[in-house]
Amino acid sequence: MGNFDLLMHGFSVAITPMHLMLMVAGVLMGLVVGVLPGLGAPNGVSLLIPLTFALDPTSAIILLTSMYWGALFGGSTTSILFNIPGEPSSVATTFDGYPMARNGQSTRALTLAFVSAGVGALMGILVITLLAGWASQFALRFGAPEYFAVYFLAFAAFIGMGSAAPMKTLVSLTTGLILTSVGMDSVTGSIRLTYGFSDLLGGISFLVVVIGLFGIGELLATVQEGLRFRGVSSKIDLRDVLKTLAELPKYWATTLRSGLIGIWMGITPGGPTAASFMSYGVARQASRQGAAFGSGRPEGIVAPETADHSAGTCAMLPMLALGVPSSATAAVMMGGLMIWGLTPGPMLFATKPDFVWGLIASMYVSNLLGVILVLATVPMFAALLRIPFTIIGPMIVAICFVGAYTVSGATFDLWLVLVFGLVGFLFTKLDYPLAPMILAMVLGHKAENAFHQSMLLSDGSLGIFFANPLVTGIMMVALALLILPKTLGLALSLRRNRKVVA
Amino acid sequence: MTVRRFHAEIGTAITTGALGVAAIIGAAELGTGWSDHGPQPGYFPFWVAIVLIGASLWNLGGAVAAHLKAQRTPPDPLDDPEEPFLPRQNLIRIATFLGAMTAFVIGMLTVGFYVAATFYIGLTAWRQGGFRLWKGLAIGAAFAVSLYLIFETIFQIPLLKGPLEPLLGIY
Amino acid sequence: MTIKTALIAGTALLAAAVPALAEWTPERPVEFIVASGAGGGTDNFARTIQAALTRNDILDQNMVVLNKGGGSGAEAFLYARQNAADPHKLIFGTNNVYLLPHVAQLAYSAEDLQPVAALALDEFLIWVKADAPWQTSMELIEAAKAEPGTIVFGGSQSKDTDETLVALIEQTTGADFKYVPFNGGGEVGVQLAGGHIAANVNNPNENIGQWQAGAIRPLCVFSPERMAESEPVSGDMGWHDIPTCAEQGLDIERYQMPRTVWLPAGTDPEVLAYYQDALTRVAETQEWQEYLAKTSQTAAVLTGDDLTAFIEENEAATVTVFEAEGWVTAAAQ
Repeated sequence: MGNFDLLMHGFSVAITPMHLMLMVAGVLMGLVVGVLPGLGAPNGVSLLIPLTFALDPTSAIILLTSMYWGALFGGSTTSILFNIPGEPSSVATTFDGYPMARNGQSTRALTLAFVSAGVGALMGILVITLLAGWASQFALRFGAPEYFAVYFLAFAAFIGMGSAAPMKTLVSLTTGLILTSVGMDSVTGSIRLTYGFSDLLGGISFLVVVIGLFGIGELLATVQEGLRFRGVSSKIDLRDVLKTLAELPKYWATTLRSGLIGIWMGITPGGPTAASFMSYGVARQASRQGAAFGSGRPEGIVAPETADHSAGTCAMLPMLALGVPSSATAAVMMGGLMIWGLTPGPMLFATKPDFVWGLIASMYVSNLLGVILVLATVPMFAALLRIPFTIIGPMIVAICFVGAYTVSGATFDLWLVLVFGLVGFLFTKLDYPLAPMILAMVLGHKAENAFHQSMLLSDGSLGIFFANPLVTGIMMVALALLILPKTLGLALSLRRNRKVVA
Repeated sequence: MTVRRFHAEIGTAITTGALGVAAIIGAAELGTGWSDHGPQPGYFPFWVAIVLIGASLWNLGGAVAAHLKAQRTPPDPLDDPEEPFLPRQNLIRIATFLGAMTAFVIGMLTVGFYVAATFYIGLTAWRQGGFRLWKGLAIGAAFAVSLYLIFETIFQIPLLKGPLEPLLGIY
Repeated sequence: MTIKTALIAGTALLAAAVPALAEWTPERPVEFIVASGAGGGTDNFARTIQAALTRNDILDQNMVVLNKGGGSGAEAFLYARQNAADPHKLIFGTNNVYLLPHVAQLAYSAEDLQPVAALALDEFLIWVKADAPWQTSMELIEAAKAEPGTIVFGGSQSKDTDETLVALIEQTTGADFKYVPFNGGGEVGVQLAGGHIAANVNNPNENIGQWQAGAIRPLCVFSPERMAESEPVSGDMGWHDIPTCAEQGLDIERYQMPRTVWLPAGTDPEVLAYYQDALTRVAETQEWQEYLAKTSQTAAVLTGDDLTAFIEENEAATVTVFEAEGWVTAAAQ
C-alpha cells in the first residue's frame, strides 16, 4: 500500500506541462537517435547530459529516460523496414520483423512491435513499482557464478534449437567469440589477439560488426538481385493497426513469458539485448512451428520486443537501487545522476522519493506517449522508401559508415564495416546463421569474465556453479534448454521410425 | 572458370579455419593453460579456436563430399553444389557496388565525409539512376548538409573532415 | 556558410594569429578526449570541467567530449600521439597515462603527452561488509596472514590502481589475499554488499551509496591525513571520522589517484600556459567545489614543476610495486 501512495505522489510530480513537454521532446529525439544506426541510445543520452545541467534532477532524468524509450522504439522501426537494427537490442526483431514486412505486412509488423514493446514496458514498470524495495535485496545475491549462469542460460536458450546446420552454427558462434576476445581483457589485464595493431586495442565493437553484417550485407544482397530496394513500403493503415490490435491477445503466452524474461534480465544485469535474444530463442523453442521462425512469425516480433522493453525499463531498478547499470544506456544515465548530485543506492529510495517515484510515474506516461508518437511518425520514416534505390542505397551506405565511425571515432572501423559487409553477404548466401555470431559478441566477453572470476573464487573448481540453490537452478534450466530440444526431437523421430517399422 | 557454390563453401571454410589458426597463434603467446590465478588469458580463445577449426574442417569435408557425390549422381536441383555461386550479371553488379563503396571509404579518409558523400551519392545517381549530374550532386550535398546539422550541430559529434572544411571555417 | 562569413572567419583567424605570441586562445572547438567509457569516473571529471568552463565563460569555444576508453584508456593516449602538437585536444585521465606503458606493450609512451594539470586526488579506502568481524585494517591483515590466500579482495580491472594497492598491502605486510578483478568500482561495491567478496579498496564515490545504506563500512583511508570534514554519511560517521591506515599501523603513508589533464606533446608553451590558467580557474568555481564534495575527493591543484615532481614520485613508487609483482612487460623494461 505504501508503494501505491508513493506512486500517486510520483504522478503529481511527473504530470506537469513542463514535464510532459520534456517527455515528448525526449521521445522524439530518441526516435531520431534510434532510427539512425550507430547513433545509439547510450550516445544520445550522453550527448544530452550537458544540456540537463540547467534542469532539476527529476526533470533531467525524465528527459533522459524518455529519450531512451524513444530510442528503443526507433530501433525497431528500422529493424523491420530496412533490416538494419538501429539499436543492438533490436537485432532480434529483424529476424522475423523484416520478413513479415517484406511479405507486405509492414503495418502489422510495426504495430506488433510497438504495442508489444509498450506492453513490455508497462510490465516492467509495474514490477518496478511493486518490487522497488525487495528487488534490490535479491540482486545482491548475484555473484560471479550467478552471472555466468545467467549468460550461459541466454546462450543455451538461443542455441538449443537452431534450424541451420549445427556445424555452421558453431562456426558462426565461435567466430563471434574470437572476435570478442580481441583487445584488453579486463580480468587478466592483458591485451589479446591484436598482433601489434593499435587499431585493435579497443577491441572490435559489435555495433560495427552488426552494421556491416546486417546493413551492408543486406545491401549487397539487394544489389546482386538487381537494383531494387528490398526495404518495404509502409503506409500505416489505421484499419491494419486495429486488426493487429485485435490479433494481439492471441499471443498472450508469448507476451507474458517474454515480459518475465525481460524483467528477469533487466533486474539481474543481463540487459535488454541479451533479453531480446533469449526471449526470441525461448519463443522459438516453445512454438510448435519453431522452424517457421525467421520467415515472419508474429511471435518472433512480439517476443524480442516485449522482452527488450521490459528489460529496458527494469534496468532502471538496479541502477537506482544498487548503482549497477545493466545496460550501456543505464550506465550513462548513472553518470548523469552523479553529476546532478544524486548517489544511486538503496538509500536513494528513502532520501529522494520525489525523484525516484517521479521517475517511475513518468515511465508510465512517456511509454504511452512513445507508442503513440512512434506510430504517428512511421510514415515519415517509411517515406524514405519511395525514393529510388540508386539514391537511397548510397545514402544508407553513407549512414552505415557514419554510424560505424561514431561508435568510437576510429577510421579503422570503416574498413571493418566493409569486411563484415562481405562476410554477411557470403554467410547468408551459404546458409551460415548470423545471429549466433552477434549473440557471442554481445555476451561472450561478459560470460568469459564471469567464468574467470568464478574460477578465481573457487580456485578452479567447477563445483561453484552448483554451490547454492540459486545458481544451481539457473544452470539446470540452461542445461535443459540446451539438451532437451535435441533429445526430444531424437526421441520423437525414433518413435516415428518404430511406427514405420511396425 | 565460373565460381561454383562448392568453391565458395570451400573458400569460406578455409577462411574461418584460418581465423582459428590465427587465434591459436595469438593465444599461444599469452599462455593457454591454467595458472594459480585461474585460466590464463589465452585459455578461452585457444579452446574456442580449436572448436572453430574443427567445425571448419567438418564444413570443408562436407563441401568436398557433396561435390564428389554431385559428379557421380544427377544433381538435386534445390541444393546443387555445382550451380554458379554468382551468375555473371550479379557478379558485375556486386563488383560495381563494392568498388563504389570502397572508393567512398577511401574518399572519406582523404577528402572527409561530407565531400565524399556528396560525390558518392551524386555520381551513383548519375551513372546508375539516370539522374542529371547536377541533380545528383545537389541531392548528395543536401544529404551531407542535413547530416552535418544532425551530427555536428545538434549532437556535437564530429565526423571525418578533409582539407575543404577548414577553408569554410568549419572544424 | 557563405564566402563572406568565411572571409570574416579568415581575417579573424589572422587577427588572432598576430598577437598570439603573448597569448594563445583556442580558435576552434576543443575536443575533450576521455580515457574511460561514458559514465566512468574520468568521464564525470571531464564533464564537470566542461560545465565549469562553459558556465563561467572561461573558455569561449564549443567543447566536444569524446570517450575513448578502449584498452583501459590506452585508446585515448594513442589518439594523443596520433594528434601530436594539436592544441585543440585535451586528454583526461588518471595516473594510467604514465602507468599503462609499464604493464602493457603499447604503441605510445608517456612522452607523447604533455601534463597540464592535476586537479584532484581520489582517495582509496579499505571497505568491508558491515557485519564483518574486522574492526581495523590490521585485524583484516592478521586474518589474511592466519589463512593465506582465502580472504577475497575485489577490485576493478587487473594490474590497475586497485590491484596495485592490494599488492602493495601484501608486499608491505606479508599478508596474502586473493584478488578478483571486476569491471568497475560500482560492480565491486555491490559484490561486497552482497557478501561475495570480503573487502575492496574502492574510492569514496564508488561506495558511498552502500555505506549510507549501512551495508558496508570503511576501515581506513590511504592518505597522510584524514579526509575533509563532511556531513555525517552513515549513522553519525562522516568522512573525517575514518582513521588513516597509517594511524592503524598499516605502513602505507599515502596511496591516491590523481585526476589529470594532458595535451598532446609538441604544442607551444603559450598553449600550455593558457590551459593551465583555465584549469586553475576551474578549480575555484562553484561547480568544481560541488564536484569535489559530492565525490569526496581531495582538492589538489598541481601544475608545472609541482606536477612533474608528483608524477615522477608516483610513477617510481608504483613501478616498484609492479616490479615486485612481475607485471612489467619486456618491452617497457
